[in-house]
Amino acid sequence: MKRYSLLILLVMAALLLAQCAPAAPATPAGEAPAAEQPAAAGDVARKDIFVYAHPTTIPNLDPSTSYSNDLVVMANCYETLTFYNAPGSAETLSPKLAESWESNEDATEWTFKLRQGVKFQDGEPLNAAAVKYSIDKIRELAVGAYYIWDAVDTIEAVDDYTVKFTLTYSSPLDLVASANYAAWIFSPKAYEENGPDWFNEGHCAGTGPYTIDSYERGSRLIMSANEDYWGGWKDGQFKKVVFELIEDPTVTQRMIESGEADFTYQLPADNLEKIKQNPNLVVYQNPAFLNLVGLFNTVKPPLDNKLVRQALSYTFPYDAFMEGVMNDRATQAFGPVPDGMWGHSKDLFQYSYDLEKAKELLTEAGYPDGGFKLLYTFATGDLDEQTAGELWKAELAKLGIEMELQGLSWEAQWDLSKADPAKAQDVFVMYWWPDLISPLSFLKSMYYSEEEPLFNLGYYKNPEFDKLVDEGDVLTGTDREAATEKFVEAQKILVDDAVSVFFYDSANIHVASASVAGYVDNPAYPHVVFVYDLTRK
Amino acid sequence: MTTTTLSAEPAASPPAVPSERQLILRAFRQDKLAMLGVLVIVFFVLTSIFAPLLTPYPAQGAGAPNIIEKFKAPGAEHPLGTDYLGRDVLARIFYGGRSSLTTGFLVVFLAVLIGAPLGAIAGYFGGRVDDVIMRITDVFLSFPPLLLAIAIATALGSGFVNTMIAIAITWWPWYTRLVRAQTVSLRERYFIEAARSIGVPSFKIIATHILPNVLTPILVQGTMDLGSAILTGAAINFIGLGVQPPQADWGNMISQGRIYFMERPWFAGSAGVAIFLVVLSFNLIGDALRDAADPRTRRGEA
Amino acid sequence: MQRFEYLIKRFILAIVVILSVMVLTFFISRVLPSDPAAAWAGSHPTAEQIAIANQRLGLDQPLHVQFWRYFTSVLQGDLGTSLQTKQPIARDLRTYLPATMELVFCAMLLAVVVGIPLGVLSGAYKGSFFDHLTRLVSISGVSIPTFWLGLLLQLFFFSQLKILPLGSRISTATAINNPVTQLTGFYLIDTAVTGNWAAFKDTLLHLVLPACTLATYPVALAIRMTRSNIIEVLSEKYILAARITGLPRRTILFDLALKNAIIPTITVLGLSFAYSLTGDILIEIIYSWPGLGSYITGAVLAIDFPVIVSVTLFVTVIYVFINLILDLLQAMLDPRVSLE
Repeated sequence: MKRYSLLILLVMAALLLAQCAPAAPATPAGEAPAAEQPAAAGDVARKDIFVYAHPTTIPNLDPSTSYSNDLVVMANCYETLTFYNAPGSAETLSPKLAESWESNEDATEWTFKLRQGVKFQDGEPLNAAAVKYSIDKIRELAVGAYYIWDAVDTIEAVDDYTVKFTLTYSSPLDLVASANYAAWIFSPKAYEENGPDWFNEGHCAGTGPYTIDSYERGSRLIMSANEDYWGGWKDGQFKKVVFELIEDPTVTQRMIESGEADFTYQLPADNLEKIKQNPNLVVYQNPAFLNLVGLFNTVKPPLDNKLVRQALSYTFPYDAFMEGVMNDRATQAFGPVPDGMWGHSKDLFQYSYDLEKAKELLTEAGYPDGGFKLLYTFATGDLDEQTAGELWKAELAKLGIEMELQGLSWEAQWDLSKADPAKAQDVFVMYWWPDLISPLSFLKSMYYSEEEPLFNLGYYKNPEFDKLVDEGDVLTGTDREAATEKFVEAQKILVDDAVSVFFYDSANIHVASASVAGYVDNPAYPHVVFVYDLTRK
Repeated sequence: MTTTTLSAEPAASPPAVPSERQLILRAFRQDKLAMLGVLVIVFFVLTSIFAPLLTPYPAQGAGAPNIIEKFKAPGAEHPLGTDYLGRDVLARIFYGGRSSLTTGFLVVFLAVLIGAPLGAIAGYFGGRVDDVIMRITDVFLSFPPLLLAIAIATALGSGFVNTMIAIAITWWPWYTRLVRAQTVSLRERYFIEAARSIGVPSFKIIATHILPNVLTPILVQGTMDLGSAILTGAAINFIGLGVQPPQADWGNMISQGRIYFMERPWFAGSAGVAIFLVVLSFNLIGDALRDAADPRTRRGEA
Repeated sequence: MQRFEYLIKRFILAIVVILSVMVLTFFISRVLPSDPAAAWAGSHPTAEQIAIANQRLGLDQPLHVQFWRYFTSVLQGDLGTSLQTKQPIARDLRTYLPATMELVFCAMLLAVVVGIPLGVLSGAYKGSFFDHLTRLVSISGVSIPTFWLGLLLQLFFFSQLKILPLGSRISTATAINNPVTQLTGFYLIDTAVTGNWAAFKDTLLHLVLPACTLATYPVALAIRMTRSNIIEVLSEKYILAARITGLPRRTILFDLALKNAIIPTITVLGLSFAYSLTGDILIEIIYSWPGLGSYITGAVLAIDFPVIVSVTLFVTVIYVFINLILDLLQAMLDPRVSLE
């Protein structure tokens, strides 16, 4: 008797707990539950599915606030007015939703002419009102990269297919409109009727070639071809796109090797040799607009002494690190602007591993035997940042300098550095990448004088540098060459002042199945695969 | 629950009857597996203490990189191969023992230090004091332990000591409960009554009569917890919140070796084996101690 | 009547504990080094953005005001919004929780179905070869680091034998061609109920390794506990009496002895269940399992404090609830336990 009541109680408890997980939102229309269908007939062929084994989560699918790795999805279902071409193209930009554009003399008025006959995935037409709505909404919410539109004063829908931007100061709006965040054009009706949460349930209201079928957060996202896409469809293009969200590099590697996935990145560097030898895989290696820097705390002794900073710049084992750890994933940096981006210059001085030179400089600065201690902070879990630290520590020990490594969560690291500079770290290690493809992003964020430190975590204040950056900024909209000159001048100052160790410019290593044709790496849209451009061989 | 009777005064005549402690030890010694466990622990403790002398690569063990010899498979020069920075894995295991073993011992020590006195106070005084202390214990026990440890470790900042404190904070309630239960049963004993009636102050009673008598259960529980403490420490290091590079730690080694595991299993593999052997040994010892301490399960009772 | 009083007392106690946990968690999350406004604003926020976010999130209010706001919204079912994803946390829980619960339920099922009988037999035949073997297996089970065991299992079953998948809940092919209708979030149930047998089989295959890895500790624990309880019970006088009267061994074991031995085991398993809800973090990392563990780990490492606070609260409520049930069960089934 008692035994049964125990069992009943347990079952009841189990049922009760099961009730704690009420029904998740139902799958959207269009994906009927496969009942007793014969497996073969209704199935989509493997060759028509593009599987992207994506190594991070995709946080936010709302086009008005999306600001992270969700880019890989957004770029396939939304479009921008202009498009930043892959390096090696004749032109920097090409038309996308805007067919043509022009500006006035000092780049304070921009007019875009829209492509006609384009529809959003909910059936609404693309017109000037929609463009105005999208960009106004982005600016209103002020999340993410909205500030790229800072110069904009008003947006006017002159007629159905003409949009006019009036700016308060000169800004390269053609460049801004091609940005990978805060520049998506979406359907106002869909946004108004459904509200922003709707997007994250797994819906898309853009003009792009693929639309979202279903989304299981943390698991996978499935897209299928938008039949009414304005670019039209040909044979051999992919009918479905699946993003497998897998954070474990062991798993993504297995998937690409076994053919379960068609594309991936962020594989462990040391396994790349084996992958390159696999005839079924192709390894694409291209510069990214991403680099790693170690900002020196310029207000805390002894690093407030330029000679010490220069000395330290000669102690990092660049070659050993590139060869031994990074392999093909990076090249040593030339200053703060990464290779491939306009404003990068190979004429800049590059420090090299030279312990004798370092010792000379240290002696000159008054530290012939070292004798001081440094704190190197990095992001926990990032093996590259960690290994760089481990290697550097060993070298510094040879000169009598003790460096302590501390891995923190990004939050903690940032918090520490924004507090009191006198008590903060000595070397702040972080990656930087641009929201807007311009050296301004690198130079201004990390080295421009700040009252309250935000990302200038070396606390560097140099009015001469600031002036050059400002001048370059103004010229960007009107005369790109002149702007480049100013930015290069500014970079010379940074390199000479040794404000940070410019570790490396990242290369992106993407691994794809050999059966996929048409992939072109475009660092302006990191890790994005424009599946529309691909075909299965 | 186990009750231990300890003679309050030594035997007046030459002892023909062995004391309880001697009985326990004798029974324990008879458990062969447990003795094997003791040997294993001693081995790891000694190798961690004398690590610099035992390996030809003391610098690497401590963290110096050796990139040229990256990922060498186990062989003559490096019996367990090398890791992603070319460091000898065997040396890293020896050095790693320092952090892993210390974590285990210190966590349990801290937990007992905080928990046992609280439990004794709660059990002895009863009433309001008991209620308050037990409610606080309940609150801490209701937290998901791993989560709490991670949260505290994040709040305190990464590092070896902070991790230990974080884990100890999630561990002490168990000892409070344990000691309280023991204290409650001891409270009614005649010699406590006697001590009270002659006016011995409460704290002295707790310190001299109660705590020594709960020593055995604490010891047993503590030994079994050593293994779990090491596992929890390894888990936190696995996530990256504990010991910082280039210091060696078995949990870190598994985490760093994980992505290369399929092709080069030797450094994540050996670290895992080390943890397994140590924890297993502690569990065997703890089991044997518990069996020995309970007269009903004790072996070789006359 | 006494039982009813006990129930009320325990219930009140549970509420007090939950409230204390809420306050403690809130306090801890404030101590965590972070700038929630910056986290909200994105990876490269401007100073103005942070100021706006501060205001929007109510972070410029004094601490007790913030807590009160949080408290009242929780009572209304609003668990807050994640700083990273900007999604309502309640919705995230609905997505991630079933995955973990399904895994944990399977592991606990294994513990009960495999662990308890083995423990009974091992205790009944104490000293035999079978007993020694089982003891060795069970003590190894509680000693092995599960995240390492997971790696080994993956190496063996996926890399070498190639019979089991590496991770996730279902394969891509199944997701496209035989998608699972989201009813309860428990794929085994959802696929069975809709007759989607291809997906059912796929789900099962994907569950094997993670569930077995997670079950290792509870199974081993169940064996050990049941064994020592059975040994204790079997030495009792009433068992001797039953033997003398000639009752068959099996009846004695599984009817009489087990009934009394099982209570502590159930208690421990219940606690194991609650622990596993977040203790499976490492399993979820290794097997790319989209569950609560992955969710909370990401949140802790990014110091997404609304998620940390709300999920901790949620799990604590479950913990307290389970503890309550177990205490009640124990009280009802074991008359020796006093309702104090």
